[in-house]
Amino acid sequence: MNREEAPGKSPEEMYIQQKVRVLLMLKKMGSNLTPNEEAFLRNYAGVVHSQMSQLPQHPIDQGAEDVVMAFSRSETEDRRQ
Amino acid sequence: SPAVSEAEGAVKVEEWQQTFYAPDSGIQSGATTIRDEDESECCKKYSLSASAGESATDIEAQYSLTRAQRVRAAMFPETLVEGEMVLTAQSNPDQPTNVQRLAEPSQLLKTAIVHLINYQDDAELATRAVPELTKLLADEDQVVVNKAALIVNQLTRKEASRRVLMQSPQMVSAVVRAMQNTGDLETARCAASVLHSLSHQREGLLAIFKSGGIPALVRMLGSPMESVMFYAITTLHNLLLHQEGAKMAVRLADGLQRMVPLLKKTNPKFLAITTDCLQLLSYGNQESKLIILANGGPEGLVFIMRNYNYEKLLWTTSRVLKVLSVCPSNKPAIVDAGGMQALGQHLSGSSQRLTQNCLWTLRNLSDAATKQEGLDGLLQILVSQLGSDDVNMLTCATGILSNLTCNNARNKALVTQSGGVEALIHAVLRAGEKEDVAEPAVCALRHLTSRHPDAELAQNAVRLHYGISAITKLLGQPHYWPVVKATVGLIRNLALCPVNQAPLRESGTIPRLVNLLLKAHQETQRHGSGAQQTYQDGVRMEEIVEGCTGALHILARDPINRGEIASMQTIPLFVQLLYSYVENIKRVSAGVLCELALDKQCAEMIDAEGASAPLMELLHSPNEGIATYAAAVLFRISEDKSSDYRKRVSVELTHSLFKHDPAAWEMVNIFIQESHRTLAHSQINLDAVYPPYGYSDLPMDGLPLDAELHEQYMPEMTYDPRQQVSLHTLPRPPIQSL
Repeated sequence: MNREEAPGKSPEEMYIQQKVRVLLMLKKMGSNLTPNEEAFLRNYAGVVHSQMSQLPQHPIDQGAEDVVMAFSRSETEDRRQ
Repeated sequence: SPAVSEAEGAVKVEEWQQTFYAPDSGIQSGATTIRDEDESECCKKYSLSASAGESATDIEAQYSLTRAQRVRAAMFPETLVEGEMVLTAQSNPDQPTNVQRLAEPSQLLKTAIVHLINYQDDAELATRAVPELTKLLADEDQVVVNKAALIVNQLTRKEASRRVLMQSPQMVSAVVRAMQNTGDLETARCAASVLHSLSHQREGLLAIFKSGGIPALVRMLGSPMESVMFYAITTLHNLLLHQEGAKMAVRLADGLQRMVPLLKKTNPKFLAITTDCLQLLSYGNQESKLIILANGGPEGLVFIMRNYNYEKLLWTTSRVLKVLSVCPSNKPAIVDAGGMQALGQHLSGSSQRLTQNCLWTLRNLSDAATKQEGLDGLLQILVSQLGSDDVNMLTCATGILSNLTCNNARNKALVTQSGGVEALIHAVLRAGEKEDVAEPAVCALRHLTSRHPDAELAQNAVRLHYGISAITKLLGQPHYWPVVKATVGLIRNLALCPVNQAPLRESGTIPRLVNLLLKAHQETQRHGSGAQQTYQDGVRMEEIVEGCTGALHILARDPINRGEIASMQTIPLFVQLLYSYVENIKRVSAGVLCELALDKQCAEMIDAEGASAPLMELLHSPNEGIATYAAAVLFRISEDKSSDYRKRVSVELTHSLFKHDPAAWEMVNIFIQESHRTLAHSQINLDAVYPPYGYSDLPMDGLPLDAELHEQYMPEMTYDPRQQVSLHTLPRPPIQSL
C-alpha cells in the first residue's frame, strides 16, 4: 500500500500529499479551485502555495503548439510578359 | 518549347532586342544590327560611282560586264571569256604565304558577295558561295578560317543571304566547328555572332540545334572574351525560348553547371538573360534545381536581389527563386543565404510584377524561415500589405505572417506591437469565403494570442478591434474545416483572457462550438476508431473534436459559460470522450469536466454518467495534465463520498504522479515530509487543517485560538494567520524538550 519513499506513511497522509500536488498543479495550469480547495491549499501548502503563484505557467496546458503551413506544394507558372 | 511561328518570333526578338540592347548597354553592338537599306541603295548605283580601292580602269572594265559576269569572274575565273577581267594567282619563286595566296581571291570573293548582298533575288549565286565558304571555314590555316568567318558574318546582315546560310546544314555545322575549334578569339567572336544572328529565325534555330550548336555554345560560356560569352548566352536563350528539345540539350551539355557561375558577372543585362535561362531550364525540372543548388545558385541569386536595381534583372531573378522555392532542398539554402531579407527589400517598389513574384517566393519559403533573424522590416511591410484589396497580395501576406509567427516569440511580439492584430482582423473580414486568405489570417491571430509575453495584449486587441463576432462567424456554414480548426484554436486562446469571456458568450460561440463538436464526433463514430481516420478538406474530425472541447474547456473557466455549456447536455459526451484513443482528446475532456465539476450539481451529473471508471484509469496516465484533471474531478466527485472511496482514489494515484517535474515539486515534497515529522496522523478528518510548520517569524499573540487547544499549545509551533478553520483536537506525539 505504501508507495512513498518515506516509511510509515498512512493512506490518509498519502491522500493529503497527493491532493496538495493535484491542486497546486491545477492552479499552475490556470484552472479554478473551489473555496474548500483553496482553503485546503492554504492550510497544507502555505508557503509553497504563495511561491507557486510566482512560477511561470506550466507548459502542459498552453494549448496546441503552433504549426507551419506548407505552401510550396506546387509550382505556378506566371504569364510571360 | 515549340518553335514559334516566324512572325511571332521576329516580333518577339525585335521587342526583346529593343529592351536588351539599349545604346548604353556597353555590349559590343553591331552584332545584332541589320544593315539598313541605304547601303543597298548606294550600292545599286555602283555602276555610276567608284568604290574605294579600285582604279578607274578597273571600274571601267567591270562596268562593261553584267552583274552575273562580274560575279562569275570573281568566283570562277576559269570560265571567263576574252575581254573579261582575269586574275590569276601569281607564281613567284618564293612560295607566297597563305595570306598572299588568299588575299586576292578572297577579296574578289568578298566583292562578289557584296554584289550578292545587293541583289536579294539572286539566291542562286549565294547558294554557290556557301559551299566555298563552308570549305574555307574548315581550312587548316587559321587566317583563312578567320577571313571566311568574317565574310559569313557579313552575309548574316541581309535577310536573303542569311536565309541561304541557315538553309545549309553544312554551313551552320562549319560555323559551329570553327567556333569550337579555333584558338583565335576574333574568329570565335565572328562565328558566335553568326550563330547569334541565325538564332532570330526558326530555321536558324533548328539549324543550330541540329548541328550540335548547343554543346559548342555552352562551351563558349567559358570564353575569356566577353562578347563571345554574350553571344553564346543570348543564342542559347533564343534556343531555350523557341527551339523544341533545346532545354534537354542544354542540360545534357552541362549548361547549368556553366551558367550558374556566370551569376558573378556584373553586367545587369547579361545577368538578366542568364537568369532567364536558368528559369527556363529549371521550371518543373527537379534535377536542374538540384544542379543549380549544387553550384551555389541560391547564394548567387540572392546576391543579385540584394545588390542590383535593374528592374528586369530583379524580375527574372525573382522568377528563378520562385521556381527554386518549391524545392525542399533549395528552400533552406535560399533562406540561409539571406533570401527572405533580400526579397523583402523589393515589396515596396513600383514594379507590380516584381513585388508579386517576391511575395509568392516568400510565401513558399516561409515555413523554412521561422528561425530567421533580421525580418523586422519584412514583418512590418507585410502588416501594411494586409490593407490591400489585391487578393494575391492578401494571400501571400497572411500566409507569410502566419508562418513567420509560428513558434517565434520575437516575431509575434513585433507583429502585435505593429498593429498586426487589427490588420489581420480586417483581412479576415475582407477575405469572405476565400480560404487562402482566411485560414492563414486566423492562424496568425492564433499564434499571436498565445505563447509569448504580449499574448495577453493580442487577446485584448482582438476584442478591442471588434474581432470577436467576425471570428465567431467563421464557425458557421459552409464549413471549410481548415478555417474552422484554426478558428476554434483562436477562440480557445481568446478565452484565456477573462475580459473576453462575456463577449465570446454573447456572440454565440458556445452553441456553435457544441454543435461542431457533436457533428465532428458523429463523423468519427461513423467511421470507426483507431487506424481509420476521417478527413474532410484535409482535416481529421478528431482534430475538430479536440479543438472544440479545448475551447469549451477554457470557456468553462467563466461560471456563466460553465452553466451554458452544461445546460446543452454536453456532460455525457465529455464523459464518452474520456475513452478516446487520442491522448489530447482525453486531456481536454478531462479538463472541461474538471471545470464543470466545480459546480456541485455538475459534479453529481458527471458521477451519474459513470465517469469514475474512466477517470480512475486516467490517473495512471503518463501525461501529467491528464492525471491532474482526472484526479481533480475524482476529488470533486468524492467530496461527499465515504472515506473508503477516497482511500481508493488515493491508492489509485501512483507515486509517480508528477515525476517528470521534479524541480517544481521538490519544495512540496520537502514541506510535506517535514510536516509529517512533527504531526501524528492516525485518524485524520480530511477537512481538518493543521498548523503549518515553519512560521517562526509570525507574532504569537493576538491570534484566534481555540480555548480547548490552549492547553495543548506547543511553543515551537506557530499558526498561519490566514487560517479560517478551527483546529481539531488530536493526540500528539510527545514533544521534545527545546
